[in-house]
Amino acid sequence: MADAVRLDGITKRFPGVVANDDVTLEVERGSVHALLGENGAGKTTLMNVLYGLYQPEEGRVVVDGEEQSFESPGDAIDAGVGMIHQHFMLVDTMTVAENITLGNEPRKWGWLAVDREQARREVRELSERYGFAVEPDARIETVSVGVQQRVEILKALYRGADVLILDEPTAVLTPQEVEELLAVFEELTAAGKTVIFITHKLGEAMEAADEITVLRDGKNVGSVSADDTDREALAELMVGREVLMETDARPSDPGDETLCVDGLTVEDSRGVTVVDGVSFGVRAGEVFGIAGVDGNGQSELVEAITGLREPTAGRVDFEGRDVADWSRIDHIEAGMAYIPEDRQERGLVMDFDLVENGLLGSQHASAFAAGGRIDWDRARDHAEAVVEEYDVRPPDPDARSVSLSGGNQQKFIVGREFERDPSLLVATHPTRGVDIGSTEFINDRLLDLRNAGGAVLLVSSKLDEVQMLSDRLAVMHGGELMAVVDPDDVTEEELGLLMAGEEPSRSLSSLRLAGEES
Amino acid sequence: MSDARADGSPLADRFSKRTGITVAVGVLFVLLAGARLAFPDTIAGDLFAIVTDRTTLGAALRFAVPITLAALGGIFAEKSGVINIGLEGLLIISAFTAVYATDTIAGEGAATQAELWLGLLVGVVASTLLAGLFAVVCIEFRADQIIAGLAVWLIALGLAPFASQVVYDGPNTASVTTPATVTIPVLAEIPFFGALFDASPFVYLMFIAVGLSWYVLNRTAFGRHVRAAGENPKALDTAGVSVSRVRYAAVLLSGVLSGAGGGALALSIGQFTGNGATMVNGKGFIAIVTYLFGNYNPVGAFLSALLFAGLDALQFSLQTVGTGLPSSLVRVIPFVTVILVLALVGRTQIPEAAGDHYESGED
Amino acid sequence: MSWRDRVERLLARLVAASATERLAISLAALFSSILVGTLLVLVAGRMTACSSAAFVLTHPTPFGVPRLFAVGFCYDPIAVYDRLFLGALGDPFSAGWSPRNAQMAVTLRETTVLIFTGLSVAVAFRAGVFNIGTQGQLVVGGFATALTVLAAAPAVSGFVGTLTLIPLGLLAGAVGGGFYGAIPGALKAYADANEVITTIMLNFVATGVVGYLVLNQFKDPTSAATQTRALPSYADFPAVVFDPRSNFSLIALAFGISLIVAVYYLLAHTSFGYDLRTSGLQPEAAEYGGVDAARTVVASFALSGALGGLGGALYVLMILGNYQTGVPAYGFDGITVSILAGNNPVGVGFAALLFGVLKSGTTVVDFATDVPPQLVGVLRGLIILFVAMPEFFRLLGGRMDRVQRRARRLGSTAATDGGEQADDGGDRNE
Repeated sequence: MADAVRLDGITKRFPGVVANDDVTLEVERGSVHALLGENGAGKTTLMNVLYGLYQPEEGRVVVDGEEQSFESPGDAIDAGVGMIHQHFMLVDTMTVAENITLGNEPRKWGWLAVDREQARREVRELSERYGFAVEPDARIETVSVGVQQRVEILKALYRGADVLILDEPTAVLTPQEVEELLAVFEELTAAGKTVIFITHKLGEAMEAADEITVLRDGKNVGSVSADDTDREALAELMVGREVLMETDARPSDPGDETLCVDGLTVEDSRGVTVVDGVSFGVRAGEVFGIAGVDGNGQSELVEAITGLREPTAGRVDFEGRDVADWSRIDHIEAGMAYIPEDRQERGLVMDFDLVENGLLGSQHASAFAAGGRIDWDRARDHAEAVVEEYDVRPPDPDARSVSLSGGNQQKFIVGREFERDPSLLVATHPTRGVDIGSTEFINDRLLDLRNAGGAVLLVSSKLDEVQMLSDRLAVMHGGELMAVVDPDDVTEEELGLLMAGEEPSRSLSSLRLAGEES
Repeated sequence: MSDARADGSPLADRFSKRTGITVAVGVLFVLLAGARLAFPDTIAGDLFAIVTDRTTLGAALRFAVPITLAALGGIFAEKSGVINIGLEGLLIISAFTAVYATDTIAGEGAATQAELWLGLLVGVVASTLLAGLFAVVCIEFRADQIIAGLAVWLIALGLAPFASQVVYDGPNTASVTTPATVTIPVLAEIPFFGALFDASPFVYLMFIAVGLSWYVLNRTAFGRHVRAAGENPKALDTAGVSVSRVRYAAVLLSGVLSGAGGGALALSIGQFTGNGATMVNGKGFIAIVTYLFGNYNPVGAFLSALLFAGLDALQFSLQTVGTGLPSSLVRVIPFVTVILVLALVGRTQIPEAAGDHYESGED
Repeated sequence: MSWRDRVERLLARLVAASATERLAISLAALFSSILVGTLLVLVAGRMTACSSAAFVLTHPTPFGVPRLFAVGFCYDPIAVYDRLFLGALGDPFSAGWSPRNAQMAVTLRETTVLIFTGLSVAVAFRAGVFNIGTQGQLVVGGFATALTVLAAAPAVSGFVGTLTLIPLGLLAGAVGGGFYGAIPGALKAYADANEVITTIMLNFVATGVVGYLVLNQFKDPTSAATQTRALPSYADFPAVVFDPRSNFSLIALAFGISLIVAVYYLLAHTSFGYDLRTSGLQPEAAEYGGVDAARTVVASFALSGALGGLGGALYVLMILGNYQTGVPAYGFDGITVSILAGNNPVGVGFAALLFGVLKSGTTVVDFATDVPPQLVGVLRGLIILFVAMPEFFRLLGGRMDRVQRRARRLGSTAATDGGEQADDGGDRNE
């Protein structure tokens, strides 16, 4: 039987980069195939080629035994290939049925009008066939992320997809939702569909896939059956060297509370309460981690603490003073540093060079601007120092931020914030989208700051990382802190349950650290 | 609207603001009615008489035509993700062209009604061409939509008087025939609301356009694609529908509708006047506010256009009554109202991707 | 390739639009507009009637080649642009030309006012807000100047009068325009009202209300025109070098140039300028960096309005000598000047000079040809349109580049497939 998909010697170049270099991939019909690799390994590019979004410079795309040259996603859809992107392609203000039938609306009255009855019926039938509980008339903005993902899958199936590509499908899901997704995969393959999913998580690939293909630097470095391999072998394939996951197990020696958050309640920009009466403290000389699935109020919590958003209730005591209604600039000047979650939106002005960006937040500080006049010489010295000390490449203070890679942009932000000599550092996803080398560097610096007696509030959705770095770990769900636990004592499964808003079977009190007042 | 949202959402806020403004207008009306009964001879009393006069409604409907039609055009463009701030320019260019075409087609004698409609059609074509230019500049050449829209306005603001000067040797054109009023028997006899059935054909054209626009936006596949192109163009693109094509169609449609509006404006007076801000005098910008206030709903846009047009009609009636209020100040009222409405409504629920260029294949 | 990388590359390309490229785009936009303007003049020249053609389009007929076509036009585009540009400078190539000629004075006079309106729009643009209301701010500023000077004039006289009234009048203009500009700023900052619409509406309001006040409260009883009483002659800007009758003062121009320097310094070298530019480029980053977004919006709008108001003050003090209705569209020209200058204060100086030439040349065109003077209004819009689409010129440039490269490849057999692909890769990202 012919393979469902065969990519043969695909090469795709972008200016200055070869994203895919002679990649060959064979996917058996009715199987689940994982495409594994680090960020930037070329997984998404390869799948975009299969989906017709990119046209390869070299190589052949064979679907169902027939060679194809897709000019657009429309061609791929016609050939039975559907793709579910990492960022969902859904119109929030429309209903489930409207989204699923978008572009393929059933018509009536001689094509004049959309037959909404038929659309609803077809969607309901499709959803029942695969055991999805999806309400056709629900608006997308009112349903959960897991449901949105199922809507995306239904959208592809509605268009007659036999091959489903999913780009990092688990990135936005809780561990329990991931389980549900894997069950969906089984339903799909049982019905003869083929599933290809992109991931950078070893465990997931091992658990869900029949076959795993590993990409590194745009090349296929091996395809293996999931039954014939183990984590270590896959990790080595992925990274290209032996991987030693080492934790800095030095115990912390915490001092007084630098930050004390009490009953903090915050609304998002739509006026919905997304942080609901949160209380915790961060002591000098410790890393306090907050884990959770994105979108459970972490962003708004951090914005309220750092002065970017005014809380509706509660206190934020920083070094003994309530700073809840202070302006952002007062927070900075009081010695609170902040590595924001979106470096290209907030952390840097992309059109500024590093000298100008080094000044962001200090533009009124007396060290750089006396009497409202900026001393550009000092600003330059400062930027040069950060570039030098934090290994920003290229080491050119006149380089525009936009010309730097993600990792180097982040190192510059880390350097700038550390140079404030802060008593509290708030870091949100500090290593997201950053290469391995920079990740290690940034994590080491966080621990250095802790060891030097600084307080660190670390918010991350990377469980392994936040577990490794934190001295105490809180889990946030639905705007509340589920529990504060000892990261060395808690299991990943228990964390998963907490992240999903459920109580683990082990009593929480035993997980709670002594001396925690909540 | 079916936007049922959680309590305290800004949509609810805005909705209550809209309701608030509507209620305020209602209260004012009742107060005026009271004033009329209590003090029939005061300005307030006069005002009530004017507001409830059917000629005021008739004038309001007439004044509402260009605003409503341009607003409908603006809704299509902005819903598809292209903010068309050049509506004013489209109105100006079609107003001049429609009169010029009618005049040219008619030749020596006075234009017939058929020639007048032909003139309107030419005006629509001119406006659509200009909208097409705007679309190419925004969609093909990725221009900033606001700046390109301003350019469209300024080009028309220069071009129409220039052309008028070339042809008529002055900023104002010659006069042409105006459309004959269409009176529907019996219905036209109804007090006050009879004005709805005893009106210029352009008023009926407006009613049809409002109904059709609503239908197209909410019940057809094209309308759905327009909304998707403005909210999440990638969703539409990955569903195999060309975002550019949908946006081109929507912007051209805004040219067609605004063209009808501008043509109707000039032809119902029978002349194009091109001094200063021209006879269009900000109606295109008011149209933008009406659809924002009407929350992108064609019917809502029409009702708020009627509100602004009513202010204009009121101002004319006030001048004939002679309230002692200077006309130059009264004329400012609609503009001040626009500012107040914008300040009260605040940020509107604009389509997520409006104003952004979309390039297929970006990921 | 993630969308982030895409955004990065898009931004990189925007950054690559270096100063030289911006200059090239501005010049290309100018020439394209003139080209379209020429076509317009020719078309208009066919549409109107005249007894003899002012311009004939034909081909040379050497060696008895028969004349195939000859099309006559009522307007001569070459004459139009000759009058527009050379006329504005007072015909520099004619005998006895002096840079102090009357037309030159008109050009510089217009330039002076346009510097202020151009700077006004540029400051707002740099802060990331659209101020389409410079026209209204100029009207209010000019009116405030006239009222203030009229009120204060009896208290002083002579040289002391000049020394006190002019600064006072400028101050009044700046304050009036500044307050009027702060209104849409506050509406945007605290009520989220779209500033494009509010500023356009405020233009109408300014014209209406000031028109009413002049007509009903402050009208010069001895004149039929809607205008205030004349300001005393000692409140006039002293003419230096140029003829006093030309209504142009080099001192005013010098004041404008010094403000260019001041605005440049403010943007590049002060904390406020840093806040303003950051807000304009990336509001989220500005907020993160401790910039008070609302206050910056109001402040930059007030500053923008004050600059527009100063333009109005100069218009009243230097040109009119009183306030009268029917103020020319300096504010809208300011938008073009600023956009043409890439919102760069130094560029504003040059763009204002160019527009000064256009405005001054218009009167010469009107006098010397039959072409309607509204042509400049059309050019104003066209220039904005062309500057707004740099992509158009880049594509044009890229296409020419490719044609050249292809030609080169045809001539050489050593061309490789790699080169071809690099080209295609480049296409996607152009």
